[in-house]
Amino acid sequence: MDEMRGAGGPSEGGDRRGFLRNASQAAMVAGLVGGYGGLAAIAGRYLYPARTGEVLWQFVTEIDGLEVGDAIRYRGPSGETVNITRRARTGTADDFIALSSTCPHLGCQVRWEAQHNRFFCPCHNGVFDPTGKATGGPPGEAGQSLPRYALRVEKGLLQIAVPPPRFADGQEQPGMLAEADGINGPGHDPCLRCARPRGRSDADA
Amino acid sequence: MSAIARWLGDRLPVSGQRFRELTNEPVPYHLKRWWFALGGTPAYLFIVQIGTGILLAFYYEASPSAAYDSVASITRDVSFGWYIRSLHKWAATLMIVAVILHQIRVFFTGAYRKPREINWIVGMCLLFCTLMTGFTGYSLVYEQLSYWGATVGANITATVPLVGEFLKRMMLAGDAYNQATLSRFFVLHAAVLPVTIILLLGVHITIIRLQGVTEFRFKDEDSGIPKTFNFFPDHLYTELIIGLVLMVLLSALATILPATLGPAANPLQTPDVIKPEWFFYVAFRWLKLFSGTAAVLSMGFIAFVMFAWPFIDAWIRKHTRFQEASVWIGIVGVLAIVGMTVWEALVRH
Repeated sequence: MDEMRGAGGPSEGGDRRGFLRNASQAAMVAGLVGGYGGLAAIAGRYLYPARTGEVLWQFVTEIDGLEVGDAIRYRGPSGETVNITRRARTGTADDFIALSSTCPHLGCQVRWEAQHNRFFCPCHNGVFDPTGKATGGPPGEAGQSLPRYALRVEKGLLQIAVPPPRFADGQEQPGMLAEADGINGPGHDPCLRCARPRGRSDADA
Repeated sequence: MSAIARWLGDRLPVSGQRFRELTNEPVPYHLKRWWFALGGTPAYLFIVQIGTGILLAFYYEASPSAAYDSVASITRDVSFGWYIRSLHKWAATLMIVAVILHQIRVFFTGAYRKPREINWIVGMCLLFCTLMTGFTGYSLVYEQLSYWGATVGANITATVPLVGEFLKRMMLAGDAYNQATLSRFFVLHAAVLPVTIILLLGVHITIIRLQGVTEFRFKDEDSGIPKTFNFFPDHLYTELIIGLVLMVLLSALATILPATLGPAANPLQTPDVIKPEWFFYVAFRWLKLFSGTAAVLSMGFIAFVMFAWPFIDAWIRKHTRFQEASVWIGIVGVLAIVGMTVWEALVRH
């Protein structure tokens, strides 16, 4: 064996062999980590939903159809729900305010309570004034107001900036929601408990 | 018969004798008391869940447009569908109860102390996986309360500092509940979480076998009774009897109080009164008492204390004179959990 180690002697040969063993083990570990780590990173990227940041301008309604104090409820192409209220009659986008009806606390749908002149979230008792500012409950404490959507008026048509649809199939059509869907903005005081999910019966038990 | 046994014996090097030796672990005598068999109860119920879950998956469709109708069809149209669904629901409820009772028993008997700290942590992971499976399973029904429960749950996740938004988007497959959310919940409920539970159970039971079960002696016990008895067949028979009793109980519950179905999910309208499943009442009440991040951070801190309890308890016992502090802390903790659960159950908002 000593002859095979060459002129360097046993300790130098041992060092070399040890170095090669450690280096090959390190290379093996690096290869495994790189290979399977890369696969895990790709799997993570595959699972994490893409976010494009794009905005679509969508037609909502003709502005002449809304009187001051009227409210409509709109659903965007990716399902977001918005309460749009007319507050003035100058003919510009500033006449309107578009507030998300999704509570910024934990995502429940807020409802308009005409008797209290406020939006109310039934999940954790969040309260918002007609401009969307949080005035009570967990959103009030955390200063989380109802998000606002940008609006514009072109040739008498009201348009809103919303995110594009996330999936091509099975998406509900964007547009104004009917009374039965629960219009719940200032100007309306729907009988929310009477509104049932479309096409369903409570007696499905 | 012997020819078949010989043929098998030539190909599979396992004999009945060897199998008996492997399984014949001496079991401490206190396991004759039923409340010490609470660890085997969730394991049995988990097997029921796998069986009934596979049967339900034959008819269930994980898409927002079809999920509710498929559950309604299982309940109304499929032969014995109502029974299988009700068994699944009640076994889930009892499994969560049994896991919590098992954990309470381990806590108050101090069975988590050295050298069993790691198994306590594995048990805590099993508890969280069980709760997650309950959460995702309830969301699959796609009725009003389960839809809004999932929405609120995902948004609670989002309030976790640093990683919350990432976790929420991973959970919902987007910024809000959408077409892809339900299939994600289904994969978690029917594949990822059960496989994780099976792996953790394997580790849990292996560690129990390696360390042996904690031995207890009770004051009222006759000193002449043996210290241990055989796992096979004595303890196996005990577990089989528990399994039979559970099956009768499950069947009775499923028949007398079958799983119901509320109104279908309506993303446009949150119900007037919204509640999660009973096992999340305590967290839901906590969220009403404290605002957003404070509530989530404090819940995270409590979860951390629960995971690290064996080490915290060891520190208290070593550095203070409160040797039985864990008992009093445990009593306060259990009373707080029960109190907040009852509170949430009794009020509308």
